[in-house]
Amino acid sequence: MQAPIHSEESFATLDGTGIRYAVFLQGCPFKCAYCHNPDTQPFAGGTPVQADDLVKKILRYKTYFKGGGGVTFSGGEPLLHAQFILECEQKLAAFGIGCALDTSGAVPLNDAVRAAVDHSEMVILDIKMPNEEGYEKYIHGSMKNPLALFDYCVSNGKRLWLRTVIVPGINDREEDVESYLALIGERIKGVEKYELLAFHTLGFSKYEKLGWENPLKDTPALTNERLAALQTYLDGRIKEIL
Amino acid sequence: MEAWRDFVKGNWNNAIDVRDFINLNYTPYDGDASFLSGPTERTKTVYAHVEELLKEEHRKGVLDVDTEHVSSILAFPPGYVDKDRDIIVGLQTDAPLKRAVNPFAGLRMCKQACEAYGYKLSDKVLEEFAYRTTHNDAVFHVYSKEMRTARHTGVITGLPDAYARGRIIGDYRRIALYGMDYLISCKQADKEALQQKAMTEENIRLIEELYKQIDFMNRLKTMASQYGYDISRPAETAKEAVQWLYFGYLGAVKEQNGAANSIGRISTFLDIYFERDLREGRLTEVEAQEIIDDFIIKLRLVRHLRTPEYNEVFAGDPTWVTMSEAGIALDGRHMVTKNAYRVLNTLYNLGSSAEPNITILWSENLPETYKKFCAKVSIDTDSIQYENDDVMRPIYDDDYAIACCVSAMRVGKQMQYFGARCNLAKVLLMALNGGRDEISGIQVGPKGKTFKEGVLKYDEVIKAFKKYCAWMAKLYVNTLNVIHYMHDKYAYERLMMSLHDTNVERLMAFGISGFSVLADSLSAIKYATVKAVKDERGIITDFVTEGEFPKYGNDDDRADDIAKAIVEYFYEQLCKHKKYRGAITTLSILTITSNVMYGKKTGSTPDGRKKGEPFAPGANPMHGRDNHGALASLNSVAKLRYSCCRDGISNTFSVTPEVLGKGEEERVTRLTHMLDGYFAQDAHHLNVNVLNRQKLIDAMNDPTLYPNLTIRVSGYAVNFNKLNREQQQEVINRTFHAKL
Repeated sequence: MQAPIHSEESFATLDGTGIRYAVFLQGCPFKCAYCHNPDTQPFAGGTPVQADDLVKKILRYKTYFKGGGGVTFSGGEPLLHAQFILECEQKLAAFGIGCALDTSGAVPLNDAVRAAVDHSEMVILDIKMPNEEGYEKYIHGSMKNPLALFDYCVSNGKRLWLRTVIVPGINDREEDVESYLALIGERIKGVEKYELLAFHTLGFSKYEKLGWENPLKDTPALTNERLAALQTYLDGRIKEIL
Repeated sequence: MEAWRDFVKGNWNNAIDVRDFINLNYTPYDGDASFLSGPTERTKTVYAHVEELLKEEHRKGVLDVDTEHVSSILAFPPGYVDKDRDIIVGLQTDAPLKRAVNPFAGLRMCKQACEAYGYKLSDKVLEEFAYRTTHNDAVFHVYSKEMRTARHTGVITGLPDAYARGRIIGDYRRIALYGMDYLISCKQADKEALQQKAMTEENIRLIEELYKQIDFMNRLKTMASQYGYDISRPAETAKEAVQWLYFGYLGAVKEQNGAANSIGRISTFLDIYFERDLREGRLTEVEAQEIIDDFIIKLRLVRHLRTPEYNEVFAGDPTWVTMSEAGIALDGRHMVTKNAYRVLNTLYNLGSSAEPNITILWSENLPETYKKFCAKVSIDTDSIQYENDDVMRPIYDDDYAIACCVSAMRVGKQMQYFGARCNLAKVLLMALNGGRDEISGIQVGPKGKTFKEGVLKYDEVIKAFKKYCAWMAKLYVNTLNVIHYMHDKYAYERLMMSLHDTNVERLMAFGISGFSVLADSLSAIKYATVKAVKDERGIITDFVTEGEFPKYGNDDDRADDIAKAIVEYFYEQLCKHKKYRGAITTLSILTITSNVMYGKKTGSTPDGRKKGEPFAPGANPMHGRDNHGALASLNSVAKLRYSCCRDGISNTFSVTPEVLGKGEEERVTRLTHMLDGYFAQDAHHLNVNVLNRQKLIDAMNDPTLYPNLTIRVSGYAVNFNKLNREQQQEVINRTFHAKL
């Protein structure tokens, strides 16, 4: 089986534990206003790659994966290609290599997605906005599917990290953090780590290259200080809740 | 006091066998770094004074030069950093950082070096050497026209024919363990045995060398006695063991100014003495660290007088006091001791530094705590390098050490005939031009067919390239045979060789430069369309390359197989020719910092590199072409076989702290896993820099911002501020593995 691959990174260190081989799959049902990889969004494009070829290539990096490293499927939205991921997961498992899914949960929770999740070692799920209005306005989608995936992970005890990108003027206040926590509710007990990421402007040139309108072209990057303050606030609140 | 009290006895009691002593007596340490001590007040005071001197030296180029006395073991009265505070004593001259003149390898270079810093070599020395043949004179008495031309056009350069060869490691530990009198008696016995044999040329030469060795062993005793020490007997305490060993090294660097005078594998050996003193209550941990700190201060002060041309090849005033650490014993125990931690701790107690060149002999089986401490030191200081014990140990056993950057040799059992490097990218251009040099137009190699303008065919190019490689190999071997014959004759390392077995095994080390440029050029010819363009002289000086081609450094077998084949073919060719004194052929892919100078001397290449642009260092993929991520780049280099590159495969790797992870613990763990993953593929060497490009740019524009910024360049570390602007720019242009 094959899937369109946007790009690969042999030394990914931010999407999961240990050293990760990251595979960025092409295509995404969401269209986030703050997307820093807009070129991964179109369904057309990418290089079609056979699962066997990808697995063969990844095996060359096996020596780096000890201590929790492995493969991370990202995108785009990787679960658009759940069958392909499942095939890779099964083949890599034979060599003792685990896979993480870095997903926005944009696709419906069907059997293929469940199987891909079941065969993964962990899921990193984006909680993009704290409510349906936010999803409509900034993500051009619904929070229905992400929440279904969230529930599925929690009820099956899947190792789970959450992520939210913080954008100045959109969700960078303490009260925004509160709304996210309200949305998550009891489910927080099934979350190992909740990480906030800073909106940055490094992806702006990609919009120009694509000839796309950049909806946040006048928005400044979030400062490291502000990010750290919000993360501290969030961590403190989670401790209180638990 | 009985020097060998408490030591487990073995073969080392019957003959000189330091390896046996270490294996029977060392204590592996599995704990972490929490036992370490910070600098004492004494250490801080002494080092503050040293730092003042270093600053002054940096401002002036050299602090001082003695132009009256030719450097030798007894040429100077005792010198001290701080006579009342020094714990380990001894300096090369009578004052710290004062450089001596050493014209034995070449008078002209010595004169130029003095003049470069506003000094004049004294008439006394000039007269002394007026009727004396130096190594440099002698080599040129014998060089053929072809050798001179190859040297002149830069197809082989950096040859040790006008300066001392270095890369020889005396087994300085022997002095501590046995004392000089026993070592001298062993050499006397060897000499008498040889005198019973037939007086062949070979035998006579060796007997004469033994005479010289014994002479200098006695001088070393005298030198130590001038400092108030009797090294005729073995060392009795840890402090004495360090002092005895250091006297040996000091004598060697007074006598010889070779490019790299490395100190060997000493910390596990010395740890045996430290452990005994700690056990006996003779020493505290604070005192143990203080001894090591003071010893390292002395090693940081080693200097030689060099010319500006020399600095272009070996930038940043390096001395390669390479210290080899850790590794695994043949019985499977790791060789990490507390002393291995103490040595690394000097980078915190005294601040980061390029020297000594601390080299970790890495193995999958080193304790995790030690691996992590090394990774932390890399992240904090960018001062140390890593070499794969798991590929070297099967060849060299467990008592080898690294000389210079990446050259392994059994300590006291093997020595090296250093051979700099040959520019294989230039050999390719020469092959296309029928043996003519693309820059000067001079006929260097045998006259052959010049390729026509237009599209180059891979098969034809390879055929011609192989022919010129074979020619080059023969010329290169013969040139080194001349150089080392003369070096043995006129600049023999009397003291260093006295600390080797009499029947030493010799390695002749050849080198390749222009490696990635050559691999990518051949890949371009094979996979893209490369058109040759001639200039008005009819020489191919430019190329038009159309289409994509795979590049070395992306874990793409199409390009990497070409790279592998180059090394294997050239090694095979070198092996074909007879080496002086039966030396074993070894090969390195290492450029020091000469990749900038080599690039300057090489015309445009088919990979798209323009005339004069720098090469990548060592076996590194070309800057910016390894764009499939850090590990893909490492995997490509890991494919080169150590078995045909036994003198080392140097790879310098720069990564930003952010890409390693978010906090110290994450970064340390990731770097450890990266090293494990790289070396598990039988890769040989890695220099690790963890820093941002911007920091280097800032340092280049304002050197006062980071006066002690140390970075790994190619098998050694330098103070960034000591590089010239061209070299700084080249380092900045290298690939930094970063992420959006």
